[in-house]
Amino acid sequence: MVKLIQTLISGLSLGSIYALIALGYTMVYGIAKMLNFAHGDIIMVGAYAVITTVLTANFPPLVGILVSILVCVVLGVTIEFLAYRPLRQAPPLSVLITAIGVSYFLQNLALLIFGSEQKAFPTIIKLPTIEAAGVYIDGITLITLVVTAAIMVGLTLFINKTRMGKAMRAVSEDKGAAELMGISVNHTITITFAIGSALAAVAALFYGMSYIYIRPTTGSMPGIKAFTAAVFGGIGSIPGAMLGGILMGVIEQLSKTYISTLWSDAIVFGVLVLVLVVKPTGLLGKKISEKV
Amino acid sequence: MKKLTKLLSLVLCLAMLFSLAACASKDDTTTDTSSDTSDTTDTTSDGEKTVRLGLIGPMTGDNANYGTSTRDGAQIAVDEINEAGGVNGYTFVLDTQDSQGDPDSAVSAYGKLMDSGMNVSLGCVLSGEAQSVITAAVEDGILIVTPTSSAVACIEGNPNAFRVCFNDAAQGTASADYIADNNLGTKIAVFYQSDIDYSAGLYETFQAEAANRGLEIVEEQTFTAGSNTDFSTQINAIRDSGCELVFLPIYAAEAATFLTQAAGKLDGITFFGCDGMDGIQTKVSDTSLIEGLMMLTPFAADAEDAATQSFVEKYVPVHGTEPDQFAADGYDAVYIVKAAMEQCGKTPADADFNEAMVAAMYEIQVEGLTGTMTWDENNEPNKPAKAMVFHDGVAKLFAE
Amino acid sequence: MKMKKKNPASPLMEGKRRGISSNAVTLLMVVVIYAVVCYLLYSGNMSRQVTNMLVSISCYIVLAVSLNLVVGLLGELSLGHAGFMSVGLFTGCLVSLATVDVLPLPVRLPVSMIVGGLAAAVVGLVVGLPALRLKGDYLAIVTLGCGEIIKTVITNLDVTGGAKGLNTTPIYGNAKTLLPYSIVLVFLVIIVMMNLKSSRHGRAIMAIRDNRIAAESNGVDITYYKLMVFILAAFFAGMAGTIYGHSLSNNKAASFDYNMSIEILVLVVLGGMGSIRGSIIATIILRALPEALRVDWVSDYRMLAYSVLLIVIMLLNASPKFADLKGRWSIGNVIYFVANQKKQKEAAHRD
Repeated sequence: MVKLIQTLISGLSLGSIYALIALGYTMVYGIAKMLNFAHGDIIMVGAYAVITTVLTANFPPLVGILVSILVCVVLGVTIEFLAYRPLRQAPPLSVLITAIGVSYFLQNLALLIFGSEQKAFPTIIKLPTIEAAGVYIDGITLITLVVTAAIMVGLTLFINKTRMGKAMRAVSEDKGAAELMGISVNHTITITFAIGSALAAVAALFYGMSYIYIRPTTGSMPGIKAFTAAVFGGIGSIPGAMLGGILMGVIEQLSKTYISTLWSDAIVFGVLVLVLVVKPTGLLGKKISEKV
Repeated sequence: MKKLTKLLSLVLCLAMLFSLAACASKDDTTTDTSSDTSDTTDTTSDGEKTVRLGLIGPMTGDNANYGTSTRDGAQIAVDEINEAGGVNGYTFVLDTQDSQGDPDSAVSAYGKLMDSGMNVSLGCVLSGEAQSVITAAVEDGILIVTPTSSAVACIEGNPNAFRVCFNDAAQGTASADYIADNNLGTKIAVFYQSDIDYSAGLYETFQAEAANRGLEIVEEQTFTAGSNTDFSTQINAIRDSGCELVFLPIYAAEAATFLTQAAGKLDGITFFGCDGMDGIQTKVSDTSLIEGLMMLTPFAADAEDAATQSFVEKYVPVHGTEPDQFAADGYDAVYIVKAAMEQCGKTPADADFNEAMVAAMYEIQVEGLTGTMTWDENNEPNKPAKAMVFHDGVAKLFAE
Repeated sequence: MKMKKKNPASPLMEGKRRGISSNAVTLLMVVVIYAVVCYLLYSGNMSRQVTNMLVSISCYIVLAVSLNLVVGLLGELSLGHAGFMSVGLFTGCLVSLATVDVLPLPVRLPVSMIVGGLAAAVVGLVVGLPALRLKGDYLAIVTLGCGEIIKTVITNLDVTGGAKGLNTTPIYGNAKTLLPYSIVLVFLVIIVMMNLKSSRHGRAIMAIRDNRIAAESNGVDITYYKLMVFILAAFFAGMAGTIYGHSLSNNKAASFDYNMSIEILVLVVLGGMGSIRGSIIATIILRALPEALRVDWVSDYRMLAYSVLLIVIMLLNASPKFADLKGRWSIGNVIYFVANQKKQKEAAHRD
């Protein structure tokens, strides 16, 4: 019983990170209708931004966080402007290949700048590990959960209640019609990328505090898993991303504890394939019929 | 039809250009080799008599730290030997080629080294590339002294290939023996990386020897390159197993992650690693995490003998950090070649240089940074293993 | 064969028939390259470095051309091509290892290649099944996931040597032994691809790429063609894998990962999606260049340059100006132009 609870807590801890990343994915995919493969790598860049400002330039952690958010937002908007905007009318295959190119570019640039060896993330806040009845809960897990939930609520309100949110929903429904209604599609998508990248910076912060060590490839695997989590929850659905992320984390840790750590990679990717094949509309998503 | 013939002739012209270019490049390499051989065989006016050593390893990319350490270590040895006047009237030249850890590229690099007239190969840094290169080298009969490729199978396919480091199997066995001999614990948990040969190979032999020595393996936990960030479930399982010692046949980066996440959860349990742990003090965010960590390694940068001290002194300005075991193995490999040349008294000018060098390998004894070595009939080194223990972030020899 | 004109407005081409078909140029190019290579290799005039690269480059040509079938013709992204290759490699090499004492190489290698190819084709079928329901981003992630699953499974099997890798020293063959088989395979994949492209099957596949719904309503059997493409691509990747495995003496599943799939994708994209000749040229250049130069800054910046190439080519493809330029300066057009100009000059001279 203790073992099960401990595993569920580990799952919650990992899942809350996935959820945080999935929120960014679902924003961008839901509105711009493109898989931003580089989202995970923006997280990596955000983490290196904190390391550089806090550990190399000796600024206080708060400055590091702000710099990281700024760097991610600028990076996200630049990528959108340079690489994705010219391809808005291009076939989806071109957009996907470009996104992979951007992801690869960021990874290799980080490899050149920071080297392949891992760098330690600075201690932002020191949180105790709580122990109750033989079960350990890291303080950071609780904070991550609270922050993820808060962001989820905030984003839901933003999308549903504000003018900008309404514009985003319109762009998501039909770009052409939105343009005709006087909404600037380019502007709206830029804002979407800015928000998505700011979320990536937040994810970088919590990823760094939970797992300490950062490498150029840090973002890619969590990114792919979080994308699946977003699909699992229903792409475009913000509560769905949170639900999907946490489920994904719990499944991963359960399979490690109860099946085998040897096969856990295969199991996680098996779940990923199964989710995409069997339920591509997700738990909370709506079915979209294909237009001719 | 006319157009067709015209096109055909055009293509053929292009083809001729192609072959000309190929011939030209071929000519280049042949002149290269001939000039090299003239350098080494003739006592011509310029009097340049050199032994060309070739090393292949990852100098760029993910594993660049291993390759550059080995290269810098070997280069220091080459400089020392040349300053002291060389061997048998010959000086050493080290030619390093990058493989990025890719066996395909390593085999091509070996071809390039052979083209440029390599006399003795220092093999490859990583096991994965070493085996393919060493097999491809069989037909050349060249002596290979491979510094750090530790997988058992690496040198099996080539009777001319020798190793400087311990092989993985020997390390696994030595670790189990060491733990049993020094009563470090009888209930052992193992945490290893299931998708790399180093870790899986060490674990396999550790398991076999542990059974012989009455050690009980109470828990086995694994991870892979794709899942090397979150070890919480593995740490929970190890805690629940009631072990006294955790055997960690893994690399320093993952060990740092493991120890960081295990902080406060595995109190009172000893951690025991192997040479892959090398350099962990530079990788953890806080040195208190590695307090009491033990590791089995043939080399320690803070050993007090004069050879190590002078090596560290020369290495730090070149490389920027303290030397690790890779650097020491690279350094030793060059001195092994020197010892073999002195033993057989041959130079690359002799027709039977390769055979004589290989035969000499079984006769020599080399006092290197990684211990005093001799070679057995399997071309494996015999040398003692030392265990180090960390106090305040510094590795010290473990007093038995 | 009439050549398909990309840009009828091109002043070079205006409604004219090209003198020689594009396929013939490609075949001739490959024949000439291999003739030169074989001459140099077997007369002992080739440098060791180039010799050691021959088999690997040939395998990559097969991989690139077969991936081009999925990416260029079907218009779907497969990020698991290295996985198919590794299935073929391990199955083929295990067969070869088992029969090494019984069968001579000229029988053993083709048999192993076919078995390896078939094993990869079966996996291709399994991966192709989800492709029936999915397309685009989701399919790309599914193929990536399948590639990772293949890697994990092979790493955890004892029969494939696990993490230590399969020791293929007993069946190792050097370039001189393996090159003839590689050449046959390269021609096989090129000819199959060419025939497929110009057959009704090929047109059906390209119709699916251009407009799935329209193709379906015109009676194109989408299930059949999608599966066919995945199976065929995997089959060739598996055959190439078997030869590749024979050219090294230790093979680890971990090296056939997502990164390798991307490298093959770069070859396809750089060569031009759907272009067989492009894939071949891009493979030769991108595989040979870093090896030929062998300087640190090239290997440092290689992957960075690949990623920039991917982005830039996609952006250029989307730009109408570049399409115009490309149509005007395609190899066929330039050759035609040069040949024609001489004729015009001759004509002018006669006047």
